[in-house]
Amino acid sequence: MTSRRARRRIETARRVLAHPGALASTLFLVLTVALAFLAPWVLPLDPLHQELSASLEPPSAQFWFGADELGRDLLARVIYGARTSLVTAGGAVAIAAAIGIPIGLVAGFFGGWRDAVLMRFVDVLLALPNILFAMALIAVLGRSQLAALVAVGITGVPSFARITRAQVLSLRQRDFVLAVEALGGSSSYTMFTTVLPNSLSPILVQVVVLSSVAILLEAALSFLGVGIPPPTPSWGDLLRTGKSFLYEAPTYAVLPGIALTLTILSLDTLGRTLAAVLEDRREVAVTPGREEGRT
Amino acid sequence: MTGYVVRRLLQLLPVLLVASLGIWAMIYAVPGGPVASILGENATPEQVRELTARLGLDQPVLVQYWSWLVSALSGDLGRSLHTRDPVLHLIMQRVPATLQLGLCATVVGLVLGIPVAIASAIWPGSWLDRALSGWSALALGVPTFWLGILLILLFSVELRWLPSASAYVPFLESPWQAFRNTLMPALTLGTYVSGIFARFLRASLLGELKADYVRTARAKGLRERDVVGRHVMRNALLPFVTVVGLMLATFIGGTVVTEAVFTYPGLGRLLIQAIGSRDYPLIQGCILFVLVIYVLMNVLVDVLYAYIDPRIEYS
Repeated sequence: MTSRRARRRIETARRVLAHPGALASTLFLVLTVALAFLAPWVLPLDPLHQELSASLEPPSAQFWFGADELGRDLLARVIYGARTSLVTAGGAVAIAAAIGIPIGLVAGFFGGWRDAVLMRFVDVLLALPNILFAMALIAVLGRSQLAALVAVGITGVPSFARITRAQVLSLRQRDFVLAVEALGGSSSYTMFTTVLPNSLSPILVQVVVLSSVAILLEAALSFLGVGIPPPTPSWGDLLRTGKSFLYEAPTYAVLPGIALTLTILSLDTLGRTLAAVLEDRREVAVTPGREEGRT
Repeated sequence: MTGYVVRRLLQLLPVLLVASLGIWAMIYAVPGGPVASILGENATPEQVRELTARLGLDQPVLVQYWSWLVSALSGDLGRSLHTRDPVLHLIMQRVPATLQLGLCATVVGLVLGIPVAIASAIWPGSWLDRALSGWSALALGVPTFWLGILLILLFSVELRWLPSASAYVPFLESPWQAFRNTLMPALTLGTYVSGIFARFLRASLLGELKADYVRTARAKGLRERDVVGRHVMRNALLPFVTVVGLMLATFIGGTVVTEAVFTYPGLGRLLIQAIGSRDYPLIQGCILFVLVIYVLMNVLVDVLYAYIDPRIEYS
């Protein structure tokens, strides 16, 4: 069973990577993650070291991306900014999944009043656009990296809850679920060992999609000056400061933006390819005689 | 129909109540509570006692919420801690600017998005379709604030055509100045909107082009232009209304960010300034205002959809 699942995973990964766009995106993301987390050991760059004589210097052999207003290396700040973005986005998605998936699972599995109460709660989270909800939370929690992480995470709860619920509803009356219950499986046993493992495909797609949303939202909050406080380098904050020096150092605000945009586009491409491949696989599985191919 | 509208509005009540409770409770969750945030750190005990009584903070919590809600419903959102102006007045001053930006961005979105959708739906799978799909992916993926910065670099820093900070000039007062000041913010937000429009309209057009009536129209010798323009467009635009609903959230969020890029004096900037200066009544007011508008517009979209598509049951 496990080996079959593992084989299917490898097959899915292989088919995702067969798309040139998804392959390029994956390579870019792997490179970004590697640089972001290995930077202190691999690169001789310090994002906090100031060299005031180099203030706002354009890109050069010493500073590949130029220097900021305090003479700090912008390449180093972009790379360490990636670290901030990835940690915040990762934490936010984890929070969203940890709260959203159980909500959707319980709401879809039991239905009735539990469904009504939980989904009304989710509706309340949707009563404000994401960015405003996050700003309101940060206004209360105070400005910190943790506050940004929590705020972005909570705005992601509804999508996990809804997708999980929809998936559970479509499985709830299937024979294999009813069989487990008929054999005496308790509700939580059935939910976690039978329903949840079979709902993972759309949740996985959601994780990728939400990572890109989280990175964008965190950057937007920092750009607005309510996200991660300085001196921690973050892409949004780099763009915010760079915007003040558009005339003196045009590359300042352009280069961090390229890193941010490429990351978001890569995650989007990967998410859409993954969704298409998983969708395809399911259709093929349901109708075995059907010719394998995309519509 | 009236029953449907009323029911939709009634469904909203619990959501609005809970959300307003959250907004009201905001100020109590702030470290030190409302009194400390108003008086600052150097307040004497008498001042604290006096203000506590004046704000009604010695009353039971539910009584406090109730009186806050009642005055909010009657339009009294309190006064700004800094300027002492009524919050609703400050908000209303900013609404026309945000509205103008929103309308211009929608126009840009439609002008860029609809031709893209039509072109790629008529020749699906062609190189043009792939190029245009790439364009909409780009329009959706590029962060609005970075696009805004690139536009400023091009039009203000390089070409020196447009001001890098946009003032609010009403269109009816001075069309040319209004155009110069709104063009870049509208392009920034409109590009994103065009990506959404293009993607949804393409899917909806592709669905319609497979319908029987299209084959009939072609079979009777109608020119392709008329098939698409007269028959398909009308039906494809129907689900489009829901897109407007889906778009609202990103749209409102987008105006906040766009206003920040161009230091455009709209509602979003008011909120950011309020958060920056910890002006809690103003923060609460702005968020409550957006909440009510957003929720009501969502209902409006639902009702509109039910109205223009007779196949939808109101029950």
